[in-house]
Amino acid sequence: MKHGVSAFLVAIAVGGVASILLPFLVSGYVDGNRQSASPSYVTSGKCSASQMSFLAGAKEYFGIYPASVRQPIAFPHKIHVKNGMPCETCHAGVDEGQQAAIPGAAVCMTCHQVIATNKPEIKKLASYYRKGEEVPWRRVYWFYPSAHVDFWHGPHIRAGVECQSCHGDMRKETVAVRKAGLNMGFCVNCHRSRHVSTDCTTCHY
Amino acid sequence: MAPAKEQNQKAFRLKRRNWGMAVDEDRCTGCEACVVACHAENNIATVGEEQAARGRAMHWIRIERYYEGTFPDIKVKYQPVLCQQCDNAPCEAVCPTYASYHNAEGLNAQIYNRCIGTRYCANACPYEDRYFNFVNPAWDEPLNLQLNPDVSVRSVGIMEKCTFCIQRIRAAEINAEKEKRQLKDGEFNPACVQSCPTEALVFGDLDDPESRVSRLAKSNRAAKLLPDLGTKPKVTYLRRGSWYDEQNT
Repeated sequence: MKHGVSAFLVAIAVGGVASILLPFLVSGYVDGNRQSASPSYVTSGKCSASQMSFLAGAKEYFGIYPASVRQPIAFPHKIHVKNGMPCETCHAGVDEGQQAAIPGAAVCMTCHQVIATNKPEIKKLASYYRKGEEVPWRRVYWFYPSAHVDFWHGPHIRAGVECQSCHGDMRKETVAVRKAGLNMGFCVNCHRSRHVSTDCTTCHY
Repeated sequence: MAPAKEQNQKAFRLKRRNWGMAVDEDRCTGCEACVVACHAENNIATVGEEQAARGRAMHWIRIERYYEGTFPDIKVKYQPVLCQQCDNAPCEAVCPTYASYHNAEGLNAQIYNRCIGTRYCANACPYEDRYFNFVNPAWDEPLNLQLNPDVSVRSVGIMEKCTFCIQRIRAAEINAEKEKRQLKDGEFNPACVQSCPTEALVFGDLDDPESRVSRLAKSNRAAKLLPDLGTKPKVTYLRRGSWYDEQNT
């Protein structure tokens, strides 16, 4: 009898571990075209049934996102915000449509032709601009393709959601860091408290 | 930092819709433009020759052919079959994870995150319009660049189906909300309806008595697919002839 119970428990434990591991072992995950590895304005250039690494698969499965991303230029948000620049100046179109824009090097250079030209980070920016290249910014906020989420910035801003509710207080930040978890509980809490739709197809399609 | 709160935003609410479609079989020429448009819009993978031979091809909309008569005197009837978005859907009752459910707009939605791939829904669907990803979808370069960013790419082990192009519904709703107006009839259309050269497919709000689709649904040519199953489909088929005589006399 005792033996039977312990065998049963072992079977449950093995089954539990297997059910967690099975998705990585059996299925390859799709590299969506909105993947994070490449700069946000560049589509990744491949979308195939490639097998991602076990660790990457596990991170995707449990919804773990990297908190900080190493940027090519240590962009100080707080200095720009302190000097009175609203977010939409550089992240144009955020209040209109789906995505916020990442400014091109030319946008930065409209000011930095004359401002703070001797700083080392600005020199990096200027060299990108002179070569006719864009700054290869890396994406900070994104969802895994397996989240099947379609997020629109516009309606949130029109509903009066402050940028810092999801992106943190940029008056204190230098390089953008993924502060809030931005998991489904985070989204649904806000949707419930504001009495807006929590229907699945509002976001997932 | 954030733009100032707009006033009256809370006062404005979009009217709740009951989306439906009408398919005029007398107009359908069987050109399959709707099939191609659906594939392009919804990132539907092509599975290849071998898998297709095993019945694993995925087409959210397909053209069924019916032949009447014998060779020299033959008539072909075309019938585009898509998800009927049933009000009493057999696929919803059987889903163990509520991945297939009915939303407030009357759409029979499929939530990919919840789907564990039991395929009960595909077996329950009498119209056979639910498709299972037996293989991981792949697009050869540069075809991956034509993927629609508004629609998620489904991976292996997930059931998928026609959504009435919900990404277009959402985009139109967001734009209408921005302009604080209600959606107009025919303002936007699913990809199949938009691409139909003979306007055989009509999409709209069934609750609006003035909309084209609700007027067509009341036509005396109207019939539903497999009406005796009691699934209450939201797609109406229009055809003059034998079918009409069978159901209405």
